[in-house]
Amino acid sequence: MATTLNAAPSSAAAYQVSTLPTQMLGHAVTMPDQVVMREKDFGVWREFTAAEVWDLVLDAAHGLLALGIEVGDRVSIQSENRPEWMILDFATVAVRCITVGFYPTNPAAEVEYLLTDCGSVVHLAEDQEQVDRVLGIDQAAISNVRKVLYCEPRGVRGYDDERLMGWDEFLAMGRDHRAAETGAVEALMSEARWDDGMTLVYTSGTTGPPKGAMLTHRNVAYSMSLFRHPAIRKGFMPSSEDEILCYLPLCHVAERIFSTFHVAEMGLTVNFAESIDTVQANLREVQPTLFFAVPRIWEKLHAGVMIKANDSSPFKKAWLAVGMRLAAIVGREKVANGGLHTTKSRILTAIGRPLVFRALLERIGLRRCIWAGTGAAPIAPEILEFFTGIGVPVYELYGMTENSAIATVNVPGRMKLGTVGEPFGGLELPDSHFRIDDETGEIQVKHPGVFAGYWNKPEQTVETLTEDGWLKTGDVGEWVDGTHVRIVDRIKHIIITSGGKNISPSEIENSLKTSPYVKEAMVIGDRRKFLTALVGIELDTVGDWALRQGIPYTTYRDLGEKSEVLELIQGVVNETNKKFASVETIKKFRMIPKELDHEDGELTATQKIKRNSMEDMFSELIEEMY
Amino acid sequence: MRGRPNLYTSYESESQLMPTLTKKVALGLFLLVLVLMPFDLPVIDQIPFIRFLGDNVWLRLVNRTLTFAIAALGLNILMGLAGQISIGHTFFGGVGAYTAVLVGGKSSANLWGWGLPMWIWLPAAGVVAALVGVAVAPAAVRVRGLYLGIVTLGLVFIGLHLSRVFPEIAGPGGLGRKWPRLELRLWKEESPLVNFSRDGHWFWFDINKNQKTYLLLLAIVILMAWAAANLARSRTGRALQAIRDRDIAAEIMGVPEYRYKTTAFAISSFYAGIGGALFASFSGQIPPEQWSLIGAVNFVAALLIGGMGRVSGVLMGSFFVITSHRFVEEIVDWMKHQAEEGGLFSGIFDFFISTGQGDGGFVSVSETALGYPLPVSALDDIIFGLLIIFFLLFEPLGLYGIWVKVRNYWKGWPFSY
Repeated sequence: MATTLNAAPSSAAAYQVSTLPTQMLGHAVTMPDQVVMREKDFGVWREFTAAEVWDLVLDAAHGLLALGIEVGDRVSIQSENRPEWMILDFATVAVRCITVGFYPTNPAAEVEYLLTDCGSVVHLAEDQEQVDRVLGIDQAAISNVRKVLYCEPRGVRGYDDERLMGWDEFLAMGRDHRAAETGAVEALMSEARWDDGMTLVYTSGTTGPPKGAMLTHRNVAYSMSLFRHPAIRKGFMPSSEDEILCYLPLCHVAERIFSTFHVAEMGLTVNFAESIDTVQANLREVQPTLFFAVPRIWEKLHAGVMIKANDSSPFKKAWLAVGMRLAAIVGREKVANGGLHTTKSRILTAIGRPLVFRALLERIGLRRCIWAGTGAAPIAPEILEFFTGIGVPVYELYGMTENSAIATVNVPGRMKLGTVGEPFGGLELPDSHFRIDDETGEIQVKHPGVFAGYWNKPEQTVETLTEDGWLKTGDVGEWVDGTHVRIVDRIKHIIITSGGKNISPSEIENSLKTSPYVKEAMVIGDRRKFLTALVGIELDTVGDWALRQGIPYTTYRDLGEKSEVLELIQGVVNETNKKFASVETIKKFRMIPKELDHEDGELTATQKIKRNSMEDMFSELIEEMY
Repeated sequence: MRGRPNLYTSYESESQLMPTLTKKVALGLFLLVLVLMPFDLPVIDQIPFIRFLGDNVWLRLVNRTLTFAIAALGLNILMGLAGQISIGHTFFGGVGAYTAVLVGGKSSANLWGWGLPMWIWLPAAGVVAALVGVAVAPAAVRVRGLYLGIVTLGLVFIGLHLSRVFPEIAGPGGLGRKWPRLELRLWKEESPLVNFSRDGHWFWFDINKNQKTYLLLLAIVILMAWAAANLARSRTGRALQAIRDRDIAAEIMGVPEYRYKTTAFAISSFYAGIGGALFASFSGQIPPEQWSLIGAVNFVAALLIGGMGRVSGVLMGSFFVITSHRFVEEIVDWMKHQAEEGGLFSGIFDFFISTGQGDGGFVSVSETALGYPLPVSALDDIIFGLLIIFFLLFEPLGLYGIWVKVRNYWKGWPFSY
């Protein structure tokens, strides 16, 4: 293998354009034994060194060439997070093609839409389930798909379809090609240009069909340069020593940046969680140093602590109660101080850490965490305060696919709860321009991270950009203290009641969702006299509550319809109503009779409510309230 | 992985016996204390228990515990790992002991014996017992649970019968014969290389025979405990545990049940044979009736009290079973003294102890008394039985289970699970 590496230009610097694959090549040369990936396989974490990964990337890239792929072709991936995902991603970019990630939960109809929309040539389907989705589609409709690769042969072996090819077979083909045409991939890598598209990230599509936002090498490099900028890190820089747990869908821009781009940038270790359901167990094992989570995960971690605390023995419970009090005080102190310690909080932490915090963090899996972030959805300030209190300051940030996740960020020492932080430009970072439109209140940004456009949708691209090149985010924001930004809502979601009042439903929904008992909430009231809400309970916590109250129940629906549970939720609604003006209060609510699901079309792949389809689906419930 | 104790990157690291430095150091210190225990040393003698266990009288009891523990480790492999009930474990101990005496014992007019040295008779005891185990296995692996218990029970009686059929090996009934001593010889030369059964002088120290025997037995126990602990995490060990948890499921998963059960019998009998041979040799002379049902029940009791399936549990259980009688005697004796001296608690102790006719109390100090008040020997049988009931009801994982509970309490901190 050493000979292959020598045949290639010996360092990443030899390439004009620094792309993800050139960076991975750089790690393979400078620190070949660095572990860059870990995957849990039959109960133990299998390690991949930088040299091994690069070897696999080269095999895969040659495999793509052997399949006759051409520059600019799309390679799509529908899989849970696993090394093959990243390896194929790097390989695709290496041969100047474009990676397209699908959500593992995308149902067959959506897969068909996505495959035809992006015109994918090679598709990686993880296992039998994903292969079935592709094979179930009429072959003529997706005639652009030449090969369907699969990672898990179980159940697929007996399939007879000339498009199918196993991952190992694919790599073997790549090795043959590599032996025959050594250097072909490196040649393509050196031809890469800054404005080459490298990936399509499909937006979740709460309103219309998903759109593929194209990011270029320039976008990615700019985004990473900011995430590595000392101004937002204050005192520590992520390095190859760091550990990351990769568990959010890799097709989403957040996890892509956090895992794929970070490993390429600094060669740290990416640990692939077994699945989204095992995150808590995997966290405890990996104890990552950098951790990014969506609010749902933070809420789950928080709820887990609360439930377990309730189940503790009396002595431990009392002990924990003391610790929680300390954490609350420390949290308040630190939050008031922009996320940094004060003398008081330092002293209290010195007491609380040996007593409770350290053990608690070890159990959660964040004992070694030095930077934690949240984004992609609003989060309750109480939860941030809790984690800050026990010693993991969680920084909220805001961005979207179309701007390579670069818009605003909270930084240590200047963190402000309830805001998504400051624009990067305000932190004196280069080229980052940010404004809030006076008229509509819409947030607009302009910087080299702004995407190249929607794939095959020129009109929508034009709609998204202003004439002078600002990206219209579609989010309404407002300034807090002149420096920080608070997100109000999506422009499209703003409700105008029949009384003519503008109301942001998200604020009310988020307030409802701060209760551990509420999982989903949707506020209704557009062109109506008053506001109502559909509420979905959190089965775990309400189930636990019902158990303690001695209320028997059978199903989700049965539990939601218990009069005691209705009272419980009424209490939550009343709490929320107190915080808002009377026109913004929820007069009536109904329980959602089922757990919402992507497959049934109520949620997007990122678990956001699709308002239109919800209104159709539960129209009877809604009309009942008016 | 360093700093991340739950992140295992290989099966080796996951199944390590001593995963952390703390554990290694703790075990090292514990072994050091055990080695130094019988000697009069300043610091060691301040440790509770160690203070008196090293004394000569107690040391003999400790030596018995060690021989018992070797055989118990074997039963643990059969019962704790493979889940096969056996109340015939003394039979294999007997097989080992009589192999030892046949191979290593002196021959006379009506006794057989080849007079070979210890390095032959000790392994031979284990190997022959293991072979007998293999021979018995076909009958035993066909039955489960209670029925297996009865089959193994039968072995004890077959053993007793055989000892009467072959007095040339077993010696006359009720008397037995002399076993070869614990002496290390190259061959049949007159003076042994190392003599474990005579007082002597090692290096710069005087050392008596009990101390010598203790060191020899301790070394063998450590070796065999280490082997047993490693067996549990080997392929064989995993197969045995699969059979224990559900034999049908194990077989469907490709674990050859018959072969592994036979293996379990063989290994278990090997341990029993070694333990039996050492016990007999250390005792000097024992009658065939020694290898009785009561002995077999004691082994099961050791596993129940100590904690089945764990090497440390077996060692704790063995210590408990062998020494508990002695502890009860000591306590009764101490109470008697207290009552006689008259002190703060004499009234309380007097209530328990009966010193003779007319005195109240339910424990008699007389060794020969029968019926009520209870003689001490009856008292400790009763306590022993009560303890087994207690452990079965309240602590099925035994002493080891108590330790696990304590450990989990701190491991779960600050939660309960």
